Amino acid sequence: MSQRHSHHAQDHTEVPSDPALRVKALESLLVEKGLADPAALDVLVDTYENEVGPRNGAQVVARAWVDSAYKQRLLDDGTAAIAEFGFSGFQGEKLTVVENTPSVHNVIVCTLCSCYPWPVLGLPPTWYKSAAYRSRTVIDPRGVLRELGLELPNDVEVRVWDSNAASRYFVLPERPEGTESMSEADLAKLVTRDAMIGVAKVASPSVGGVS
Amino acid sequence: MNGIHDMGGMQGLGEIGYRENEPGFHEPWEVRLFALVRAMRSGSLRPYIERIPAAEYLRMSYYERWYTALVTRLIESGTITRAEVKSGRADPAAVNATPALTPAVARELLFRTPQTEQDIALTPRFHVGDRVRGRNINPTSHTRMPRYTRGKAGVVERDRGVFHLPDSEQVSAEPKPQQVYLIHYRAQELWGEEASTHDSLYIDMWEDYLEAA
Repeated sequence: MSQRHSHHAQDHTEVPSDPALRVKALESLLVEKGLADPAALDVLVDTYENEVGPRNGAQVVARAWVDSAYKQRLLDDGTAAIAEFGFSGFQGEKLTVVENTPSVHNVIVCTLCSCYPWPVLGLPPTWYKSAAYRSRTVIDPRGVLRELGLELPNDVEVRVWDSNAASRYFVLPERPEGTESMSEADLAKLVTRDAMIGVAKVASPSVGGVS
Repeated sequence: MNGIHDMGGMQGLGEIGYRENEPGFHEPWEVRLFALVRAMRSGSLRPYIERIPAAEYLRMSYYERWYTALVTRLIESGTITRAEVKSGRADPAAVNATPALTPAVARELLFRTPQTEQDIALTPRFHVGDRVRGRNINPTSHTRMPRYTRGKAGVVERDRGVFHLPDSEQVSAEPKPQQVYLIHYRAQELWGEEASTHDSLYIDMWEDYLEAA
């Protein structure tokens, strides 16, 4: 990451080339002008670093695996069913849950920017925001998935969801084999963020372990 | 706008750089900037990000684009001046009209889900099962219609309800509420016979982006 941040900034900015310094200078200016309160920024930073993230989504997935009535509510109205956990907020106004099955595989992208279901997954990883992922996932989803380590049989239907409008999508992955006796809490530990984006499957604990 | 940000279907844009379990933030300044953007409640930065020249856009990291967009937004709204950004010091003559977000309001803001769906009953022009086609339009400002959908035919899968057309926010301050539809496109319709016969793409489209097919 560091080379992307530091090398290229010099030739297009008037203010310090180091983005860390630029952001610091902007914050100082806004604080001096009475437009920003550092204590409020601390609250926002702490929440997005420690409270909002893919562990939220993993809890939702595990509940759907063990509770078929909950799963139905989740598929019918994602926002309402996710709010049952107290997960809400920005980028969560219309959460649509799409279910992976043995015959259908869903994958999420945002070609125009980087729309992502923050309340359940937190902020997106860099690769999700990369030009390559955004451009290629719609035209060559199988190639992208293969590159990311997921080879899908030809008879599986791939559905790509381009999150361009009000809806934010997240994938309900398939429950892996060998998890029949596991508790909801242990199931949640198996669920990865990448499985909820749709670029991976949830590994069975007997073969892959928690990845 | 036919900008670099509208990259769906392009090829040759480098590596995905996939890393398993990669965090959302890598450096402290990124999350600090993220918080600053939220705290300033400056509305969508997308139109400002899209105005970054293509070569710069591709060279910048994601949060560098956010920085540039936020500064542009704050300057254009008269909240700060370019001189202030350069000097890093407040101009004593500048007017500060907006009070800072307090920690208490920040907490409340964090978990309040914005209400973007409009409680307005309009008569939908299309219905579930209708065949529709993406209009051949080339707006010069912000739009949420990716160009790969232009001229392509799909089927209305779901009526999403009424939302403000984001394109109109750039043209006038007057909101334009209209129906949004989830459209199902066959991969072969979008990408030709090379695409898998099994595969599909789903995308939300505002009514103005569509015509009957």
